[in-house]
Amino acid sequence: MAENGLCATTGPTPHIAAQNRAAVIAELRRLMPRMGEQRKPLPFGLAVIDSHLPDGGLACGALHEIVPAAEGCIAAAFGFIAAILGRLAYPLLFVMPAYGLRPYRPHGRLHGHGLNALGLDPGRLILVETAHRKETLWAMEEAVRSAAPAAVVGVIDTLDLKLSQRLHLAATEAGLPVFLLRPAPPSPPSPASGGGWGGGSAAATRWRIGTATARRDRFGLVTQPRWHLQLERCRNGRPGEWVVEYDHVAHRFSLAAALADFSRPRGAGETSIRQAS
Amino acid sequence: MNAAAEAAGLATGDLLADARAKAEFLQVRDADPTADDAALRRLALWATRYTPTASPWDEDNGADGFFLDITGSAHLFGGEEKLLADLAARLRKNFGLPAQLAVADTPGAAWALSRFHKTPLFVLPCGQEAAALAPLPIAALRLAPDTRATLRRLGFKTVGSLLDKPRAPFAARFPTELLRRVDQALGRIDEPLVPVVAPPVYHALRYLIEPIFTHDAIIAHANRLMATLVHVLTRDDVGARGLRLCLYNVDGAVETIDIGLTLPTRNVSHVARLIELKLEALAATCDAGFGFEAIGLAVICAEPMPARQTELTSVTDDGDRTERCASLIDALRQRLGPASVRRFEPVTSHLPERAEVLPPFDGEVPAWPEPEQKPRPLLLLPHAEPAEDVTALVPDGPPRRFSWRGVTYDVTGAQGPERIGAEWWRYREPKPTRDYYLVEDSTGHRFWLFREGLYGRETAAARWFVHGLFA
Repeated sequence: MAENGLCATTGPTPHIAAQNRAAVIAELRRLMPRMGEQRKPLPFGLAVIDSHLPDGGLACGALHEIVPAAEGCIAAAFGFIAAILGRLAYPLLFVMPAYGLRPYRPHGRLHGHGLNALGLDPGRLILVETAHRKETLWAMEEAVRSAAPAAVVGVIDTLDLKLSQRLHLAATEAGLPVFLLRPAPPSPPSPASGGGWGGGSAAATRWRIGTATARRDRFGLVTQPRWHLQLERCRNGRPGEWVVEYDHVAHRFSLAAALADFSRPRGAGETSIRQAS
Repeated sequence: MNAAAEAAGLATGDLLADARAKAEFLQVRDADPTADDAALRRLALWATRYTPTASPWDEDNGADGFFLDITGSAHLFGGEEKLLADLAARLRKNFGLPAQLAVADTPGAAWALSRFHKTPLFVLPCGQEAAALAPLPIAALRLAPDTRATLRRLGFKTVGSLLDKPRAPFAARFPTELLRRVDQALGRIDEPLVPVVAPPVYHALRYLIEPIFTHDAIIAHANRLMATLVHVLTRDDVGARGLRLCLYNVDGAVETIDIGLTLPTRNVSHVARLIELKLEALAATCDAGFGFEAIGLAVICAEPMPARQTELTSVTDDGDRTERCASLIDALRQRLGPASVRRFEPVTSHLPERAEVLPPFDGEVPAWPEPEQKPRPLLLLPHAEPAEDVTALVPDGPPRRFSWRGVTYDVTGAQGPERIGAEWWRYREPKPTRDYYLVEDSTGHRFWLFREGLYGRETAAARWFVHGLFA
C-alpha cells in the first residue's frame, strides 16, 4: 500500500508509468539484439590478411563469395569455408542442391567425418537439400532472415547482381555471415570486366581458393592442409594473395612457411614418396 | 494365439526351441508390450460404444481383454445376451478377432467365466457366482504364479475346493491377494474399474456464409481457428506437433494440408506462415473451384508443452535460438519437402560409405566422436570411382601416378596404407580388403585412393579407386 501511495505521488499516474516502462523495455529489447548482432568481424588472426579487410576481419553481416580456382579445387573451397565456420557458434546451415544435381554433382558429398577432421562438429550442421536454384535462394534467404543459425552457407551455380544484393541486404539486417560457394569459372576472368563472371555481385568479399601442397611433418604425414587464397575483391579493403595453412585443433590460420617443410628434399625439384609406417 | 498356431499345437508359455520344433514355419518377433497395450486401449475406446466405462485389463489380469460395466446400458441393446452377440459379431467383422465373452455380477467372476467357461458367450444369472466358479480351475482366480503353484501342491485343483474351507488358515499362510481375489470374484468386496479415457480431440471447424477462394482468406480463417485451439491447448499444457487443415469445397471435394512441426507449438502466426508456405507450394494443384464453404483445423499430434515465461528473458539466449531454429526448419520442410532438411549422424562402421547417415532433421543433436588421427576426406564419393593407369613401384605400395576422370595426376606424396577390412558379417561372399592412401599431386590436390584386394592373397591384379577429396 505504501508503495502504491509513493507511486501515485511521485509518478504521473501508476498506469502511465507502467505504460512508459513497458515502452522503454520494448525499445530496449528491440535494440538489444541489434547490439548483439553487430558482432565484431571474424578475424583470421593473421595481421597480413586482416589488414586487407575492413575492420580487421570478415564482416559478419555480409555476403561472402567463395569460388574455387579450378574445378578440382572445390574440396579446398569447402575446406576454407569449414575452417572459417569452425570458429563460429552453432548451429550452421548448409543449403545445397540434393546430391546428383548441378553444380555439386561431380565431387562427392560432404562427409561428416571429414568435417570432423577439420574441426567442425558435424552434429551441429543442418543440411538443407534443394531441388533447384530458386529453392536454394529461397531457403538461404529464409534462413538468413530468421537469424536462427549462426551462419548460412549456400552452393549455387550462378548469381546476378540483383540476387546478391538481396542476400547481402538480408545478411546485413540479420547480422549473419553468409557464404556462397560458386563453381569454378570456365575461364579466368579478365580484370577489364570488373573481375566478375556474368554480371556484378554485391558481395562484400570474393575469395578464390586454390590448392597448395600440404604441410607435412618430418615423417611425411599431412598435418595441416594448405590453401592458396586470393582475395579478389573486398569492399573497403584491398585484394591480396596468400598461401595459408590451417590448424584444425586450434582453429588457427597461419602463413605457410615453405622452408619449414621437412619432408621435401630441397633438391632439384625431385620428389620422394614416403610412406607412413 | 491364432487358429493356425493352435492347430500346430503351440501354447502360450512354450519355450522358443520347443515351439520351433513343433512348427518349423514359425516366424519370431520380439514382444512389444507397449504396442499391445496401446492396441488394447484403442479397442477399449472403441468398446465405449456400449458403455462409458470400459477398462482394459492390466498386467495382473493378463492384459488381453477389457471389462465393460454394462450396468444400465444392456437394455439399450436388447438385453445382455443380445449385447454379447452384437459385441462378438462386431469384433469379428471389424477387427477379425474371435472373442470369449461373459457377463457376471462381479468383474472377477466375469473374468473367470470368459476365460474358462466352455461357451464363448455366457451370461451368469444373478447371485450364482459361487456355484459357477466352483468347477473352474484355481487359475480362474487371477493369482500370482507362486501362490497358484503352492495351492496346486496342497491339492487345491478347483475354486470350489477353496470356497468351503475356513478363511483363517489361508489368511495366515498366504498373501492377502488370495482372499482378496476370492472376495472380489464373489462380490464380497468392491473391485473398482479404471475406465479408459479418450484422448482429447483438438478440432475447430468453421462454416462460412460465403465461399472463400483466395489464399489470404484461407489463412485469415486458419488463423482464427488456430486462435480458438490455442486456448484449449494452453489449458491442457500441450502444443501441436502435427496439424491438419481441411478445406471443404462447395462441390464436396476436400483439400487437406498437413503441417508437421519440429517442436510443439501454440504460436498462431507460425502456423499461419506454414500454411501460407504450403498453399504457395500447392498453388498449382490446389483448385479452389467454386470456393471453400467450410474450413477445419485439427491437431493430429499433440505433445506436452509446459508453459514458459516469455517476459524478461534475454532475446539471445539459447532456448530462443532453438525455438527460432525449429520454426525455420518447419518453414523449410513445409516448402521443400519433409526429407529436405537433414543432419549428419555417425554410424559405427569403419567402411567410409557406411560411417554416416543423413536422417531427416528431428531436433536432436547427434554426438560425434572426437576426430581421430586417421585422414578422412571432406568430400566423399558415394560410389568409389575407378582410377585408371595406376603405376606403383611395388604391387602393394602406394601409387606414383594415376588418372581419374581423364586427368593424370603425378603423385608427389602418399600416406598410408590404412587397411579397412570388409564387414564379413554383412555379406555371404567375402569382399576384398581395402588399403587406403592419402595421395597428393604436385599442385596440391589431395585424394583418397584405395586398392581393392590384398596383393597375392585376395587378388593378383589389384584395382584402384578414388573415394574422396581432401580439403
